[in-house]
Order: sequence, then C-alpha cells, then structure tokens
Amino acid sequence: MPMVFDYERCDGCGDCAAVCPGDVIYLKHDAVRKRPYNRYVDECWHCGSCRQDCPQQAIKVTFPPDMLCT
Amino acid sequence: MAMYDREPIRLKTDVLVVGGGLAGTNAAVGAAEAGASVVVMDKGKIERSGDIGGGVDHFLAYLNEGPAWDTREAFLGYVEKVGRGTNHISHIESLFCDELPAAIERMARIGNPLTQPDGTYYRTASMGQPGPYWINFNGKLLKPRLARAVRKLGCKVLSRVMTVDLLVDSGHVVGALGFHIHTGRFFIVEARATVVATGNTNRIFENPRGNPFNTWLCPYNTGDGQVMALRAGASLTNMEYMRLTMLPKGFAAPGFNALTGMGGRFMNSLDEYYMEKNHPLGNRAPRYACVMNSLDEMRAGRGPIFIDCRHLSDKDLDHLQATLGYDKDTLPDYLAQRGEDLRKHPVEIMVSEGMQAGPTETNGSGIKIDGNAAATAPGLFACGDAADHNRCVHGAVTGGFRAGKSAAGYAKSQNLAPSEMIRNTRERMDRFIAPLLRGSGYPFQQIEDTIRKIMSEHVGMTRTDLGLRKGLEKLERLAPHLDDMKVEDLHGLMRSHETRSILTVGKMMATAARFRTESRNKPYHYRLDYPETDDANWCGLVVVQVKNGGADSGFQCSFERIVYKSH
Repeated sequence: MPMVFDYERCDGCGDCAAVCPGDVIYLKHDAVRKRPYNRYVDECWHCGSCRQDCPQQAIKVTFPPDMLCT
Repeated sequence: MAMYDREPIRLKTDVLVVGGGLAGTNAAVGAAEAGASVVVMDKGKIERSGDIGGGVDHFLAYLNEGPAWDTREAFLGYVEKVGRGTNHISHIESLFCDELPAAIERMARIGNPLTQPDGTYYRTASMGQPGPYWINFNGKLLKPRLARAVRKLGCKVLSRVMTVDLLVDSGHVVGALGFHIHTGRFFIVEARATVVATGNTNRIFENPRGNPFNTWLCPYNTGDGQVMALRAGASLTNMEYMRLTMLPKGFAAPGFNALTGMGGRFMNSLDEYYMEKNHPLGNRAPRYACVMNSLDEMRAGRGPIFIDCRHLSDKDLDHLQATLGYDKDTLPDYLAQRGEDLRKHPVEIMVSEGMQAGPTETNGSGIKIDGNAAATAPGLFACGDAADHNRCVHGAVTGGFRAGKSAAGYAKSQNLAPSEMIRNTRERMDRFIAPLLRGSGYPFQQIEDTIRKIMSEHVGMTRTDLGLRKGLEKLERLAPHLDDMKVEDLHGLMRSHETRSILTVGKMMATAARFRTESRNKPYHYRLDYPETDDANWCGLVVVQVKNGGADSGFQCSFERIVYKSH
C-alpha cells in the first residue's frame, strides 16, 4: 500500500492522478464524486509527487512490509 | 470504446523534444528562447516526470570562489580522473562548462536557485572530488517551476504520450510517432530537429528488493529513446557500463550521497570502517570504488553493511534531517517507519540494482553526441541520461539547454518535407498496437523477468566472454517472444513497449561488454577474464551501431580512442 488516500479529506480534484509519473493513480467515479486509487500498485516509485501536490493534504505514504522488514 | 483511433493527430514544429524530464524541459527552454516552435512529448506530465520529478537536492559544479579546486581546470582534472577512457574532455567543456554560468542564472530566474535562503551555497564533497563540488539545494519544486517556464514560452506539451519511434527520411530524423496512453490516439509530429531526452535504462537487472519498480533512478525510464535513435541510424557509446550505487536497505531511494558528503562512514558488521581501510579517499572515494568495496565486504560475509553518522555534529545532523527529503520526498517517512535514526545508530545500506547508465557522475552513456549535443544521425540531438556526454542534474540542466539551442539552430536550415515514412505510418501503428489486439499471450512482466534473469546471470557485476556469449544467445532466443506479449489496456501497451526497449538495451550492453576486453571502473565493467584496466588499448569509447542498417538484428562495435592532454 504505497500511497493511501484519505477519502474524508480528498475532494476528487484528480491532481494526484494527473502528476503521477508512472500512470499508477486513476480516479473512480461513484454516484457522488471522484476518488483516486492505485490501479497499478506494484509500479509506484514512491516519488511523493502526488502527496506534495495534493491541495487537501489527503495522501499519506505507507511502505509495505517487504520494504520495511527485510 | 475503440481501443485506439486509427486517425492520427498530425503536428508540425521546428523542434520536437522527446521526454520532458529535467534535460527535456531545459532543452525545450533552450529551443524556445532561440526562437523555435517546440513540441514536448512525455509519458507523464512534465510538472513531475523524470528522475527528479519529486525533487532533488544536489547539483555538481565549480564556482570559481577562490580555492584551487574550484576552477574549470581543476574540475576537468576530476572529470578525467574518475572517468578516464569514457569521455572526451572537450565535449564536457562545451556541454557543461560553457553552459554553467547561464544555467546557474536560469535556475534562479525560474524560481529555484541553487543557493540557500540566505543567498550562500551549501557545498559538500564525495565521490573522489578534490573539493566540495556538490551544491546542496532544495529542488522539490524544480520540475513544476521548469514546467511553468516551458509553458510560458509557448511550447506545446503533449502529456501522457509515449513516443514509440522516430521518423526517418533519407537518413534524416524528421520527427516522431507516439500514442496517448489513455485515449490510444496516435500523434505524428513532423519536426525540423528532434531532441531525445528519455533517460537511462532501468528495470534491466534483477532487483535485490524483489519489486523491479523499486529502482534508484526512475523505473519508467527504459532506454526507449536510445533504442529509437539506434534504429534511426545513430551511434551509441558507453553501453557496456552497468551502474550501481549505495542505497538505504529495502528502498532504492537516492539521497544517501548527502550522508557521505557530510562525513558519513561506511561500516561492516564487525564495526570496521572498510572504506577508510581500503581506499586513500576513504568514504569520499569515487562511487564505483565504494560499490566495489561494499560488494567485497558482503561477499566475504561481513555484511550487513551500514552508514554511520553518529559522529557528525548536531548542526550537520540537523541539516541532514531537514534536507534528506529534498532528493526523495518519501525517504524521511521510510526511515521513520523502519525505525532508523541517524543520530542513534548506523543505518543499514545495500548495493543497488544494476542499471544501464553512465560510468561516472560527469558523463553518461547512450546516444553519441558531439560538443553541440548533435547525434550522428542528422536532425537528431540528445541530452540528459540518454546521451553519452551528459549526466546527472548538472548535466541535464546545462546539456539539455545546449541541445535545445543547437536543435533550434539546425531547424532554421531545414525545410519540412512530408516524407514517405510520414505518410506511410498506418502499418507501423498497427504493429505498435498489436499486443492490445492479440487473443492470447504473455504478460509483459513475464518477458521482463526473463530479461532481468539473463542480464543478472550473464551481463552483471562480473563478466566473462563465455558468459556474455551465452547471455546474448539467450536474449536472442527470447527476442521473438516479444511478439507474444499480450496486454489488457493502453497502460500495459506502454509497459510492453518499455519491455521491448529493455531487451534491445540488454543486447547492446552484452555486445559492447564482450567487445571491451579489459575492465574499467569496476564493477561497472568487470571482466574476470581481463581484470585489469588496459589504457594502452582501451582508453576510449565502444561505439555501437545497428549492423547493416537493420533494426534489432545485431550490432556492430567499433572503438574510438580518446587522447588526454595530461598524458
């Protein structure tokens, strides 16, 4: 789970998906609004661009156990 | 919804820039400021694409501030010392030294100066430098600011467009063909001059952390531009070098240069500071020497290995703490989540994955360029990590700008003539889209894993003639299976084209490594059957070209000797 989106804070602007250099983040539409998600989760480079550019500070990074525990 | 639209969008421009990372955006600025119309194509969005999209913290430069090491002449002496036999000093002079004052001024002008908030430079030394050539700075917004400059200059930016081939007419590069990775729409851009700035090749060796995308440099840089240039008839050099570096354990984050720059010490599990024991420059030895010694420690069973910063002053540690996230935004999060604390204990490190990249910080590998950033194929220019005399942040900013400027100058002398190649693109579009339409086949990951296994076992840190020959045989056997890849969507189509590039780079790398019967900058090119550096015969570049003008069917190597004035 590299980038974790806080759907309470997120307003669905889509900046994270737009800047992601790996084309990893996409938006899904529900009845109310758009929400970002990691479509190609293994391909995230953890560059932090999405988090830096999120106007709502709605993105956190959580590194997976294979990176943290080895 | 149709998976792709067969009617391409056609554009005409003076200068086309393929790849909008640090080098490509500087090229766009250089070309536009010289009065050219400019189109930039990038798989991502130029605000955050490329190696330093998320930020950067270092720029290599001399500043003429007084000390003997701080001059152009001393810097060139350093370039020769660490990269002897891999670069023409005259090219470094014109691409870097001549462009440096304007580059420093431009960085400030676009809103991302190299200075600290108080106007001074924060400088550190490592990697064999005679003085502190690294300028530490906060480059977290460098790409957004450069992108703003590019757009303000009126350049047309095509985001999420992957370039798949250069257009060639009578030996001249006259533009490129690409597809939009969300809509499938093809773009045909006719250009009077074309600049390739697509970076080096990653995902080419097995990754010690498992995930092939957990790479030091950008994992979406896969040698695409170099392979396109090769097919277009351009020469490439320095392709034999497998670059490695030192990383925090588990995360291929850049940023640890700062630790050795500040005085961090390499330590093994016996608490021995092995670089201080093994190299006259100690922890500040050239990068390849740090890697080689670290590998030796691990092989001797003295791992795990660490960087020890406990002895640094509170002031230095505060600076590190504050700036570590400049180079890799998420590195501080990683260290915190892993429970690492530079102040309290040595931080575990590892040797990175292999990558195809330049053999030093001051020169690269890939498209062979001259002092004006022109490739050997007319109409083609190159810069950044895709070019053989350009590398790293300082190289991309200076050489990128020079490439754009040169391309604009060349464009003025050229007419746009719609060529047969440009008219006849339907067949090529069908070929590029084929993995999407195939009924069954292999996922790109399966082919790519196979490439990485072959490369790691035969073309890696230690090489022999027989091993390289076997490696090449296996890569050749795998090559027809590139046409068996099946993808589920346009994103996968992009990845499958990257896989194709990686295989071609792998073959070039093995071919050039077999040709160079000596070792140089070990372990970047380490032949067990020719373990010594042989300056009498091999001080120069291995030049790779396609054989008999055919694409992907084999390469021919030649040798270009380099004579240094100092010897």
